[in-house]
Amino acid sequence: MTLSRNLHSCNNYNFISKSITFAFTLLVTSFAAPLLAIDFNSIKNADKSENIKLSQQQIDSLKSKKLTAALVWHGSSAWVSAVNQGAQETFSRFGIEVVAVTDAQFDPAKQVADLENVSILNPDIILSLSVDSTSTKNSYRDAISNGAKLVLLSNPIEGFIHHQDYVGIVTDDMFGMGKAAAQLTMDALKQSGKLGIIYHDAKYFITNNRDHAFRQALKSASNIDIVIEKGFVRESETSNIAAAMILQNPEIEAIYVSWDSAAEGVIEALRSLDRPDIKVITHDLGVNNLLDMATNRNLYGTVADRPYDIGATMAKLGAAAILGQRAAQVTIVPFDKVTKTNITSAWQQAFKKPLPKLLTQALQQ
Amino acid sequence: MNAQMLSLNQLKQIALHREAFIYYIFFFVLFFFAIVLHDTAFLTLSNFMNIVKQTAPLTIMAVGLTFALAVGHIDLSIGSVVALSALVGALLLQHTGIPLAVLGALLVGVTVGLINGLLIERLQVSSLLITLGTMGIITGIARQITNLESVPIINQDFTFFFGSGKVLGLPILLLWTLIIGGCAYIILKKLAAGRHLLAVGGNPVAARAMGIKVTRIRLYALIASSTAAALAGLLYAGRLHGARYTLGEADLLTVIAAVAIGGTSLFGGRACIVGAILGTWLMGIINNGLILSGFSTNEQMIARGVILVIAVAIGVKEIRNG
Repeated sequence: MTLSRNLHSCNNYNFISKSITFAFTLLVTSFAAPLLAIDFNSIKNADKSENIKLSQQQIDSLKSKKLTAALVWHGSSAWVSAVNQGAQETFSRFGIEVVAVTDAQFDPAKQVADLENVSILNPDIILSLSVDSTSTKNSYRDAISNGAKLVLLSNPIEGFIHHQDYVGIVTDDMFGMGKAAAQLTMDALKQSGKLGIIYHDAKYFITNNRDHAFRQALKSASNIDIVIEKGFVRESETSNIAAAMILQNPEIEAIYVSWDSAAEGVIEALRSLDRPDIKVITHDLGVNNLLDMATNRNLYGTVADRPYDIGATMAKLGAAAILGQRAAQVTIVPFDKVTKTNITSAWQQAFKKPLPKLLTQALQQ
Repeated sequence: MNAQMLSLNQLKQIALHREAFIYYIFFFVLFFFAIVLHDTAFLTLSNFMNIVKQTAPLTIMAVGLTFALAVGHIDLSIGSVVALSALVGALLLQHTGIPLAVLGALLVGVTVGLINGLLIERLQVSSLLITLGTMGIITGIARQITNLESVPIINQDFTFFFGSGKVLGLPILLLWTLIIGGCAYIILKKLAAGRHLLAVGGNPVAARAMGIKVTRIRLYALIASSTAAALAGLLYAGRLHGARYTLGEADLLTVIAAVAIGGTSLFGGRACIVGAILGTWLMGIINNGLILSGFSTNEQMIARGVILVIAVAIGVKEIRNG
């Protein structure tokens, strides 16, 4: 999810190519060391973010300790900014000063340098997503050797032991999100119809699991016929894939695409083919596609996570760990099924910001 | 005539002072952060050692690139050579000892430099275009040979010699910087080869007339550039305990900026090794100082640009006043 957010939140080609290569690598890492990966069981047994609460007494105790935190991120995007904002505001409520925020730009060498720089400040809490478990492991180890509590986003670090080396991992419920996308598809097709699938054809843990969960959930809908499945590696490919798919199978009534910015290409193809009747279902929130949804065109629904809450949950786990509380290995943050009726609330839930003006105007029309 | 001679002398003085430019910038930035971050650990030895360790691969790349620029060539392939040499070294380490792994990695650099040089000289094409092409080829090979997978290094001797080791209490990465920088300084300042390099970069026609083998010198310079990048790849691999195809990817512009700020001309004929080293350290100090300042990442980017522009402006003013 983190990756797909990064993939579609930036138009810069270099950034996107870095994101794609990052995706490949994360997956390779997760496959090379299967014990590391967060699987269905760890999600099933995970704690829920809404359970992570601190009492006023605990908050007062935190405030008296004059704690500091560092946020060592993997890259920059609107999604990361929302995670960062959630963490910063939560720390602020606890009287914890954020002394450093870094962006590794998907470069493990930069993340290692960032960790070294941050360690000089001796933060009490470090929130981070590791760009590459192999290369950054030693620097994380050095950073926590001074006693810092490490809370991870999405990716485990090879050889790190829960409770001993890190507090916990905060992530999305990728399996639940895939299932929710399937439910949206059933709603869009009113339980029966012809479906095309445009899936992420790269080995990336999160998108693969979401796509897989989507397919699994659709098995219960016997009247929905998957007429064609096509994979994509780059987002720029989805427009051509969708156009070819529709030309070959004009009877298609809905298309599932792995994430929002990849869906932009699909919607563009549907517009140029003048097929407003074909509904699109995807993951994540993007202004362009939400405008399409708001104006009753192709996008029927999307499943969105809550990046602000991810950051806030990470901050809470780090603070709770300082007070001696033990977190579950994995904590999941909820997601929202989004259709035209709840765009505004879902956006606010995800980003804790008002809806962009353009979208508000489109919804009012 | 006298007036003309005077202005020529003045120009010469300014040119001589051009090498002092980096010192003004370097100490201005250091002074700036020392004041702003007086209540943090910025001014500690361990922090400066961190900066030196972080910038060691960049410094070696900058020293190598100085040779290519000295003869009037730009080498855009150095970032990709870093990745490929690190991967080759890490892969060889899984089957052989350190000497062969290091040799293999350095051979990557020598080969790429040779190919770059031969293509540029034989085809008489811009070094920018040729090295842009080879950069793509090498990046593709680096991605292909490992299927995008990181290659871990568990050989502790290797990580000691090329990464985390200390000799006489000094980080080994600092020693690598000093050794390579020292050798390059001697070549450029004390040996005939250095004078030939600058002569070729300054005026190739005159250099040829003086009997200097221009093509060969340019070839050597490009090999030096690539081989230094290959060594930088080994230093990255040693420091990170592994290699990855993205290593060096983001370093090219930083290295070019550091070398240019350090007083080396991007068009040949003028080279400053000390400036190149100080230039990369300057980049490291700015990066470190901004992180310790607690800025957000966006603010860090803006501040980095502002500091560089102000530092360059002050440096230029000081030189003119001098």
